[in-house]
Amino acid sequence: MKHIITPGTPAPDFELEDVNGNRIRLSNFRGDKPVVLAFLRGFM
Amino acid sequence: MRDHYEDFKARGVEIIAVGPDAGDSFKRYWTKENIPYVGLPDPNHKVARQYRQEVNLFKLGRMPLNCIVDKDGRIRYVHYGASMSDIPDNETFLSVIDEINASSN
Repeated sequence: MKHIITPGTPAPDFELEDVNGNRIRLSNFRGDKPVVLAFLRGFM
Repeated sequence: MRDHYEDFKARGVEIIAVGPDAGDSFKRYWTKENIPYVGLPDPNHKVARQYRQEVNLFKLGRMPLNCIVDKDGRIRYVHYGASMSDIPDNETFLSVIDEINASSN
């Protein structure tokens, strides 16, 4: 599969609900703090 | 990353973990392991697809993928795991974060 995420490009924005029911939107951190995105393998 | 969460927190960074498990099992795991950062269930693989996270066909899971997004919303670092255990160490993350923080101050 082609890797399209490369340094210097805008991070694709997303919004999902976290385990505590809070809506998390990536772009809300813009201008505030860096974000580490860790894509997990899955627990099962 | 959890064992070094304080190092990340001290640098004013948010950690968001996106995973394929459904909300209930994700939450159970997060609560049981007492993980201090954001856990984001993505059972429909919406965000995983956006970021082109690769699927491991043999183990029916996903390959690890790690990104660092700077304060301008740009990708500063990306690592597509070549195996299930191919995850960068914390020093790699922290040095990129230090660079970001140094350039924006």
